[in-house]
Amino acid sequence: MSTEKQSLRRKLDRLFVPLTVGPTMLWIAAIIVYPTLKLLWSSVFWTNPINGQREFVALRNFRRLVFAENGQGAFLGLAPDFVAITTNTAVYVGLSVSISFALGLGIALLLDKDLKGRGWFRTAVIVPWILPYVMSGLMWRWMFNSEYGAINGLLTQTGLLSSKIAFLSDGTLAMMALIIADIWVFTPFIIIILLAGLQNVPEQLYDAAEVDGAGRISRFVNVTYPFLKPSILVALTIRIIFDIRALDLVWVMTRGGPGKSTEVWASWLYRTAQVFNRPGEGAALGVVLLAVTFVIVATLYRIFGDSPY
Amino acid sequence: MSTQQSIFDRLIGGLGLDTEDEWSHIVRERVVAYSLLGLYVFVIWFPIYFIFVTSIKPTSAVLDIPISFVPTQPTVSNYIEIFQNRPFELYTLNSLIVASTTTIICVTLGTVTGYSFSRYEFVGNKTLLLSIVGARMIPPIALIVPFFSIMSNPPLIGGLTGSLYDTRIALILTYTFFNLPFAVWIMKNYFDGVPESLDEQARIDGCSRWEGFVKIILPMAKPGIAATAILAFIFSWNEFVFALVLTSSEQAQTLPIAVSLFVADDFVDWAHLAAGGMIAALPGILFGLFFQQYIVSGLTQGAVKE
Repeated sequence: MSTEKQSLRRKLDRLFVPLTVGPTMLWIAAIIVYPTLKLLWSSVFWTNPINGQREFVALRNFRRLVFAENGQGAFLGLAPDFVAITTNTAVYVGLSVSISFALGLGIALLLDKDLKGRGWFRTAVIVPWILPYVMSGLMWRWMFNSEYGAINGLLTQTGLLSSKIAFLSDGTLAMMALIIADIWVFTPFIIIILLAGLQNVPEQLYDAAEVDGAGRISRFVNVTYPFLKPSILVALTIRIIFDIRALDLVWVMTRGGPGKSTEVWASWLYRTAQVFNRPGEGAALGVVLLAVTFVIVATLYRIFGDSPY
Repeated sequence: MSTQQSIFDRLIGGLGLDTEDEWSHIVRERVVAYSLLGLYVFVIWFPIYFIFVTSIKPTSAVLDIPISFVPTQPTVSNYIEIFQNRPFELYTLNSLIVASTTTIICVTLGTVTGYSFSRYEFVGNKTLLLSIVGARMIPPIALIVPFFSIMSNPPLIGGLTGSLYDTRIALILTYTFFNLPFAVWIMKNYFDGVPESLDEQARIDGCSRWEGFVKIILPMAKPGIAATAILAFIFSWNEFVFALVLTSSEQAQTLPIAVSLFVADDFVDWAHLAAGGMIAALPGILFGLFFQQYIVSGLTQGAVKE
């Protein structure tokens, strides 16, 4: 091999890292860093919906979202919308995450057993999570349809119910329907992550615990749980973050209604920015969402210590 | 010994279902496990079954009371009509182009970058890796306002291309935002599991870094690449919110949008919606049935491993 060719090879080798990492980092800067900066920038402007002119308003967008004011700009406490929508978000996220976590843990423990056809079950269990959320949302809207839905059909045609229930026209029931759909969609994710964690538990430890006479519950607490902790953290973190930001299910199932009974932060953001065409306030909400996400992640990280996040 | 027994076990013992009879204990446990899993699978598949049944009912039979759960006169007319009355072939094409292009970009960049992060120490590699993890946590919906304005009026290249609003390019650019950090992360973790001695062997055999990567490492990484590709494809295929914000016509609208268009203000065309929904759901169902192990390994590489 000629020395010239060798030196070219060496030069190309030295460029390996810049050439493999560089384009990705540039891409990420362009599609993530730039829009994030632009988000911060947009949140301090107010756009006139009629002539499209922009006016610098500093933090007024944020103030308007959170606080109620009278005509003269005097504070009247927290804005009712802000309180209601934040409560809805907390109920939606809290209930669906905790129920799907409990259900997912149960199914993962069952699937961790040495059962015949385990692979088949895993396949059957995973599918709801890989369908388009829109299709799942509309599917559940159809299931909960007051006249022709399968749930009303099953309940009335088997005689369990004498008259049909208008699930999506009642605030509480609509929230319940949303939570059921959300649990249906995301439990597979919990199952997969926890199942992976369960496979890290050394088999000998179970045997040793059994020899020591440890019961089912004490085996779970003392043997399984310590190994499962990192997976639990990941499952909960991703699940919570996803629920706070997810719009698809809410938007196609209830549009935040009836009234504002199922409006959550994500649908509020979309409505403000796109439907009502108030980009400044939408951006301000985006900033709030970003901050809340980071606070949640930091808190979980603090509590559970070392983690991928 | 009894002190270490849980209340649960003592209760079972008290009921006369003692664990001493090892065989019947195992059988009983299996029966319980199978029935619970069976029940769960039945419950989660029922809605999918019901929307499928709806999609093959004659349009007029969808609103029949009592509701029939078994189609008496199955028909494919709903599927044919959505292609005749609406541009479903265009929506499908858009979905295919957007999802595959995004997948190719994310897999290519994710693989080479993931490899470098796994193997080399370089200036700022911790910071860059951390920024990729951070990028994964940004809630996409927070960025709909800037993405909408950037795509309507793209900086730098704006003079050349004009607005990217309502184009497939806008969706492809946007979807790499969801998938690229995830792809880098999965591939880095995957390469961490490929022994470094293979790299050294390639070096000893006289391969350059490039040759060693392409000839020795890449073939080893096929399962990781498959996992990344499947997840990137599914995420892009299923995406709804950005498609809703960034597109307005069949030049760029994807299947999830097309399905949502069956919902008019007060009226939903359930028969055709169900048929469109089944088409949109098809890749998910197929990938789930045939490539379940790749999805699981990709998810766990991407989520659990450090």
